[in-house]
Formats: sequence, structure tokens, C-alpha cells
Amino acid sequence: MLDVRDLSVTFPGSRTPAVRNVNLSLGTERVVVVGPNGSGKTTLLRAILGLAPITSGTARVFGQDVSTVRGELRVSTNLAEVYRLISLPVRDLLPIFARLKGGDPAALARRVHEFELEGTLDRKIYELSTGQQKLLGVLLALSAGPGLLLLDEPFDNVDFSRRRRLAALLQEQSGAALLSTHELELLRLFDGWHLAFMFEGRLVGPFETANVDRLFLSRGRVPDALAILETSAGVFSVTLDRGDLPVKNATSLTALVEQLA
Amino acid sequence: MNLAPAYSKALLRNETLWFWGGVFMLFWIVIGAFVESQGLSLAGTALRQYAASWYAVVVLLSLSMLAVAIANSLTYGSAALAYAFRYTRLTPNGYLGSVLVASAIMGFFLGFLILGGTVAVFGARFHASLVPSNIAGLVGVALVAGVFFMALAAILMLVVINYVGLRSTSLVGFVPLMLAYAFGLGQVFLPLPAWLLYGSPYNDITSLLYQGFCGAAAPVSGAGPATLAWPILVAALLAWSVALSAGATFLLRRIRARQVEEGRQV
Repeated sequence: MLDVRDLSVTFPGSRTPAVRNVNLSLGTERVVVVGPNGSGKTTLLRAILGLAPITSGTARVFGQDVSTVRGELRVSTNLAEVYRLISLPVRDLLPIFARLKGGDPAALARRVHEFELEGTLDRKIYELSTGQQKLLGVLLALSAGPGLLLLDEPFDNVDFSRRRRLAALLQEQSGAALLSTHELELLRLFDGWHLAFMFEGRLVGPFETANVDRLFLSRGRVPDALAILETSAGVFSVTLDRGDLPVKNATSLTALVEQLA
Repeated sequence: MNLAPAYSKALLRNETLWFWGGVFMLFWIVIGAFVESQGLSLAGTALRQYAASWYAVVVLLSLSMLAVAIANSLTYGSAALAYAFRYTRLTPNGYLGSVLVASAIMGFFLGFLILGGTVAVFGARFHASLVPSNIAGLVGVALVAGVFFMALAAILMLVVINYVGLRSTSLVGFVPLMLAYAFGLGQVFLPLPAWLLYGSPYNDITSLLYQGFCGAAAPVSGAGPATLAWPILVAALLAWSVALSAGATFLLRRIRARQVEEGRQV
């Protein structure tokens, strides 16, 4: 469903790549990508969708290059910018996007009701709170029962009770998924998913979310390391059951790296 | 998928467009009727021709403003369109067709508003009944002109989005409007030759609107025949509209996702 080879993205005028030589292949797997703000997660998702300038490498969805793919309804995302197609209230936008994705407008309306988002219906997307935009984005992305779901920080600014319901809804979905977050504690909501870390544009993994309590980060290159994380602060190894610092206690990946460095 | 109803709804509900494309344009009609006519002795045919000139130029300005406003929306929707063409049922042809239909509908209503304003304001000023000679023709020209302006503005904006960068949008966006002032007022005040009046789509529009309003062929004050032939004007305007629409479709297929913030100057 998704095949990413040596993908790099460097924005015009910048010397530092936002995404560096990422390799990723998904059949029906679901992956949570954890990384701090600015690590390149959103840019990676945009590049996979063909919405960011790919400097080198390739990204293919369902066998088609993302720069030329057309009408592939099985790919969906929650990125807010892709829903700014027309200046109309949410009430009018929902059925338009449901039909554009080959989905059922009535089913989408029911989900909006389940997530208590009726208050958004008479407003335009830019008038909504960040949390409401995120929730609506996910519901729109799910409206067609996608084969490949690309979700950028779907829990950002979403209240606790709806986080749980949203996580349960995502667990019910079939097909491949790539979900980015900067919150390590969210990993416990995604039992059975694969896990990857993103740091300074590099993607390392895969690991298992079920093993997150057993993952450690160690300074330098360690024998039997599951993966090597190269950063501007030095080289670190991701190891299982032993190491310098446990991942589970970290508030963020940045804090962990800074502690070790 | 046909988004024309949705885009038409968004345009027809847009109060800002109604003000700048409609109400503000009526201000120029008032200027033409009450200020610029000072010292002129107008009645009968001369009055109809004078009112027709103002009507034609003001419709030109209104439609170009409408086109600029709609084309500017492309900068806000570049990522949405790049995504929609890849991962939804929306096609570049479907999108452009929907927007062209919506802008033609809006152009029809704005043209009708300005027509009513011209008849009412000039009629009140000169105590005359100014019923247009060919209302169906005026409607037809307004519809095609709406398509032409939308395609022109879309091409300019898509060149900026795809190849130049959004910092130029706020400047390039004014090009259709500036050309409307140049060609529209140029035809009124300068001796433009017939070949230019036929070849310029702006002057095709004003000349056809002039003829539709007053019933007489638009005069040529520069080199060439004394008046312009409407079949040639129609053919030229249609050719421009088709060519620009094809160009806009070509560029739309290659639309590049841009972040709106890129357009900030400071």
C-alpha cells in the first residue's frame, strides 16, 4: 500500500533536510511515528501525499508514484489544509467531502453526532478550535473507509474522553495507517501497532508499541541494538530490556536524547 | 464530480463580492451619470451611447474584480486541490468547469445589477427611459466574459503557485483589473485601432456590451473600419475563453501544494 524509498525533503532556501533518507514499506501494518515537534513527521506525511517537494527518493501509494497518482480514493489524511477546498460552513462541507471520497454522507453525519461536534456545523473550518479541526479531519479521513490512513497528530488539543473514543475508532479500522504524535504516553492506546521514532528528519524502527516498556536508549553504538539513532547531539542505540535510560519514563524523545547527551 | 452548485452557493453568499463587484461599481455609474456628464448635452441616441459606454466599462471592471477574488482563492486551496486531484473523485476539468460555471452565474447577477443600476441612474439623471436593445445578448456576453476573466485570472495565479511562489500573488492578482482599466478606459479616451479592439478580449467584451445596450455597433476612433462587427468580436472572445480555459486546465493538473504563509510580504 505504501512504499517509501530513500525519501528526502529539503525546503527551498534551507540547507538542512526536513526529512532524510526515509525508507518505509507498509502492507496492512499500522505504525505510530513518535517524534518531537519539528522532527519532520508532518513533512513526511505531506511528502507521502505528494504535498511537499521531494528532493530525492520516491514515495508510492498502491503502486503509483505520488507525484502522478490520480483519483486514488483509498488514501486519506486528516491534514487540515486539504479540506480548505471551498469557503462553506462545515454542514455543507461534510457531504461534499464524503461524496468526493466515495463515502456515505449520512454515516459521516452520525460520526459527527457521536463525537458531539454538532456545534461546529454552522461554522467554517478556520473558525473551529484546533481540537475540533483535528477531530473533524480524522472523521473526514475515515469517511471512505480508507486503505491507507495518514494521520498527523490526531489527538492534538483533543479532550481526554474523546481521545479514548478516537483511539478506539482508529483501532477498529482495517488497512494500513501511519499516525504521527509527539506524545509517548499515547502509545498505550495503540496496542498491536508498530512503532517508529522520528528525530531530526530520520525515521528509525520498526519496534512494537507492546514493547514500549522494554525499550531503552543508550549512548553510542551498542551491540545487539534494535536501531541506531543518529542526531546532531551524537549517536544513540535503541535497545531491548537494558540500556542507559528507559523510553517509558521519558516525557518526550527530545528530553531523553538531551538527558543522555 | 460537479461542484458548481457548491461554488455558486459560496459566491452568491459572499457579501464582500457583492459589495466590491456590485455596490461599489454602481458608484462609478453614479459618477458617469452625475459628474462626468457635466457640460454635456445628452439626449436620444447620444445619451444611449454615453450610458452604454459607462455600462460596458463598469461591467468589465466588475467582472475582472470578481475573477481576481476567485483566483486568489486558489492560493488558499492549492494544497486542497493537489490532494483532491490525487485522492478524491475531483478532476482538474471538473474543478475548473465548476468554478467557471459558478463565476459565470455570479457574473450574470453582477451584470444584471449593473444593468439595472445604469438604467435607473442614467434614467433618473436625464429623465429618459433607457431600455437596453438586446438584453439576451447582454446576458450572453456577461456569461462568456465571466468565463474569460476566470480563466485569465486562474492562469496568472497558477503560474505563480506552480513556478514563482506565493509572495507574488497579491501583486499578480491585480493584473486582470489593471488591464481592465487600461483597455476599458483606453477604448473610451484613446484612438485605438480596429485590430487591437478585435484582438483584445477586454475590448471584445466592452464593444459587445456597448452594442447590446444601445443597439449600435461600437465605433472605432483609430485606424480601420468605422465600426466593429459583432460576429468577429464574439468569435474572438470565444477563442480567448477556450484557449485560456485550456491553459488553466493544463496548469491546474500540475498544481503545487503551497503553504498560505508563504505569501506574506513581511
